[in-house]
Amino acid sequence: MDQAHQRAFAVISHVDHGKSTLSDRLLQLTKTVNERDMREQYLDRMDLERERGITIKAAAVRMEYEAADGEVYELNLIDTPGHVDFGYEVSRSLAACEGVLLLVDAAQGIEAQTLTNLYLAVDAGLEVIPVLNKIDLPAAQPEKYAQEIAGLIGCDPSDIYRISAKTGEGVAELLEAIVSHIPPPSGDPDAPLRALVFDSYYDIYRGVVAYIRIVDGSLRAREPIRFLATGVDAEADEIGIMAPDATPIKSLATGEVGYLIAGIKEVVQAKVGDTVTTKAAGAQVQALAGYREPKPMVFAGIYPVEGDDFPLLRDALEKLKLNDAALTYEPESSGALGFGFRCGFLGLLHMEIVRERLEREFGLELIATAPSVAYEIELSNGERRVVRNPTDMPDPGTINEISEPFVSIMVVTPSEYVGTIMQLCQERRGELKEMHYLSPERVELRYHTPLGEIIFDFFDQLKSRTKGYASLDYEPVGLQPANLVKVDVLLNGQPVDAFSTIVHREKAYTYGKTMTERLRKLIPRQFFDVPIQAAIGSRVIARETVKAKRKDVLAKCYGGDITRKRKLLEKQKEGKRRMKQIGSVEVPQSAFIEALRLDQEVKAP
Amino acid sequence: MSLAAIEQARSGAWLEDPGFGVYVHIPFCRHRCHYCDFNTYEAQEDLHQRYVDALVGEVERSSGSDRPATSVFFGGGTPTLLPARSLARILQAVRNAVNVEAGAEITIEANPETVDEPMFEALLEAGFDRVSIGIQSLAPRVLEGLGREHSAARAVGAIRAARSAGAMDVNADLIYGSPWESSSDWRASLQGVIAEQPDHISAYALTVEEGTPLATLVRTSRIPDVDPDVQADRYEVAQELLAEAGYWRYEISNWARPGRASRHNVLYWSAGDYFGFGAGAHAHFGGRRAWTIRLPRSFASAVEEGRSTEAGSECLGPDQRAGEALMLGLRLTSGVDTAAFGRRFGPGLASRGPALEALETGGLLERRGGWLRLSSRSTLVANEVLCRLL
Repeated sequence: MDQAHQRAFAVISHVDHGKSTLSDRLLQLTKTVNERDMREQYLDRMDLERERGITIKAAAVRMEYEAADGEVYELNLIDTPGHVDFGYEVSRSLAACEGVLLLVDAAQGIEAQTLTNLYLAVDAGLEVIPVLNKIDLPAAQPEKYAQEIAGLIGCDPSDIYRISAKTGEGVAELLEAIVSHIPPPSGDPDAPLRALVFDSYYDIYRGVVAYIRIVDGSLRAREPIRFLATGVDAEADEIGIMAPDATPIKSLATGEVGYLIAGIKEVVQAKVGDTVTTKAAGAQVQALAGYREPKPMVFAGIYPVEGDDFPLLRDALEKLKLNDAALTYEPESSGALGFGFRCGFLGLLHMEIVRERLEREFGLELIATAPSVAYEIELSNGERRVVRNPTDMPDPGTINEISEPFVSIMVVTPSEYVGTIMQLCQERRGELKEMHYLSPERVELRYHTPLGEIIFDFFDQLKSRTKGYASLDYEPVGLQPANLVKVDVLLNGQPVDAFSTIVHREKAYTYGKTMTERLRKLIPRQFFDVPIQAAIGSRVIARETVKAKRKDVLAKCYGGDITRKRKLLEKQKEGKRRMKQIGSVEVPQSAFIEALRLDQEVKAP
Repeated sequence: MSLAAIEQARSGAWLEDPGFGVYVHIPFCRHRCHYCDFNTYEAQEDLHQRYVDALVGEVERSSGSDRPATSVFFGGGTPTLLPARSLARILQAVRNAVNVEAGAEITIEANPETVDEPMFEALLEAGFDRVSIGIQSLAPRVLEGLGREHSAARAVGAIRAARSAGAMDVNADLIYGSPWESSSDWRASLQGVIAEQPDHISAYALTVEEGTPLATLVRTSRIPDVDPDVQADRYEVAQELLAEAGYWRYEISNWARPGRASRHNVLYWSAGDYFGFGAGAHAHFGGRRAWTIRLPRSFASAVEEGRSTEAGSECLGPDQRAGEALMLGLRLTSGVDTAAFGRRFGPGLASRGPALEALETGGLLERRGGWLRLSSRSTLVANEVLCRLL
């Protein structure tokens, strides 16, 4: 279709604000799905079917719409990942659009993540169509939230569309608005091919499926292509559109959105943000702006609870990696936990998702060390080094300066919780950057805080201290030097690698005290007194002692029943076999796991 | 057996030739104590005579042994719940089946409430020469807590009765570290028993065994669990007072005046062989351990119907035997004679070289003149040592 009749847009929305229902209505009104096949949450169901290998992902759906002007338009609805850790992926999806629908629940108002994505869209120069959904709800306050949105994007409250995706009220008008407000694509059809990869995933039957927007030129099936960032050459085995089912087509023209299957085996070869061009044009074409290597921000050691599961864990990570360009992993070993992997994640939620998939899809029981961030160390000899695992921290005497990654966090909250949140952010070394009243009742707060401070239980704390009303988003803002120290936990003088951590100096004592007290309760008594110390370098900051075991002996033998006595001792021996040796101290692995578990109440926002 | 051999056996040291023993189980009590998980049953008086008949039948039909028995031990339960003539009959059956050598140690366990001087006289007459009396404590609240049916006075009286009846050897059993016991209760019990000058004193830390009324009390928090640190304190007090009074600790829980260690006890700890007669009795022959039907009624039926009473058995491999022999032998204060151990159990010590070395380096085992033994440090945490040597 000619460019003038194409529209590409995304829906920016919070979970449960009605994106899926609106998609259903759009599919229906444009007759993309006929009434007979229509099911609720159509696209979400396709996602489930995709997980079971029935269909492929609908990262973009093409709809044909006959507008009031009598013309037929091609509407491309582009999906955006809804997770706090995928800001970059969202930005690439938005880069494939000319406009967005800002969809806000008329009973709830805008939430933090929506706000972040809105700012991304505005910064990208996209046309924003503000929409209040769920106006049919008794609790809806469209006037109030219209004010809020108008204040944010600088429009008149009366310009905001009011719809009920559920009943369909106002959706037809919205379709017209998409055609009239969102500009058509402006690429050059005669230029060499440049297509933006805005999503990609690995399908066990088809290999990697990349979703692309043709920015300039066109792409024909069977054409030899090149991915500019990765330098991978391939052939466009199949190109097609999602309408909403995968439909192969012969070519994609400028401005069109579709999928590309090119016999690629891993998503790292067709990364989000990469530019696809023809092999012929390869050398002369300039890549599209905005590509970034996926950069893990949060790191943790992941270990199988059963040491024998190590090979299974390795295979599972390999499989996940096929479909997750952002996940990194390398083997590491720990005196306390055995063999595992140091994994890198985009953020906390990404970590949680990966861990959950490893456990659920691969049946593994896992234990993770406390998450850490990547610190940049400047040594006194001028050398710079990145440390992702506290045990790799160089000797404090050789360190000139440690920098840690900071994030800008955004919290949207009912105004009554402002004090609570300020206190929480202060506890986490946050610095208030901005406070903005969206309305008299709702506030947007912006803080700069070390990433390391929010990867423990910040989300949980925020949720519990605001009765679940506050929403959160964050994005990295670079490194800043900080007064950080490495705290080691020592058993009988031997450091236990799994408990080493890097914390702000002011928090070192609290960490040390917590861990030593916790371990004192978990470590079984030995032949001798076992000091448990927390130390910064050689300076001990907290100490507990597991008193020596004084009595462990069977009293007697009952009428010559030696068998029973031996079995009791064999049980004890079996217990020893499962113990980890830290110096001369024997510790059941369960004690380490228990101590770490207490820190792992981190949940998704 | 020579006098020298007997003397050696009664020194309480580990024996290369532990002799041969006979254990006879009497699975009845008037009342089950709260901590007890032994194979014993209350009441069932109607069963007593039948059980005695079955037991005698079992002994009579056994293959017997020409190997001279160096000790016979009647345990329970409460053997003295049975009339002396029944016990005499059983002992006679044992003598008929087994070559019980002259000078063998023949022990019977007794509970204070079931014995008096005439009873002891009858038992001595029947051939028993060592009585082991379940005193447990002299503190009334401890006796009550444990569920004992006798008073402190009756307990002391039992020792005196045994003495005046002419018993050659008297043992007093004590239990320490129960939740009802204070430190001074324990001292007083020890002192009271020492004053009666028994030849042998066994002191056992109270163990909360699963399935006992005591375990239920602990689980439901009606009484506190036993505290291993308190038990360690009590143990130290026992060692101090008993040593002062001339008792030599020859095994973790056993003290005796010089030359009065229990041969039967030492036989067990020296991994010796023994017959086991009666319900739930254990026997051992050269690495084969076997046990009989636990319920007295079922045991009696089996004998009456001419069926085997064996309920289970296990055969230990050479290395397992060695491990078990170390587990037993190291409980003796003497430890094991390493050369003799090698003769009996082959390369069992050599194959444990690294473990032994680590324990010696850690000061938990020591070698003196060819004997390997627990150190004073490790006596009370012997499990930690022994489980590494299995």
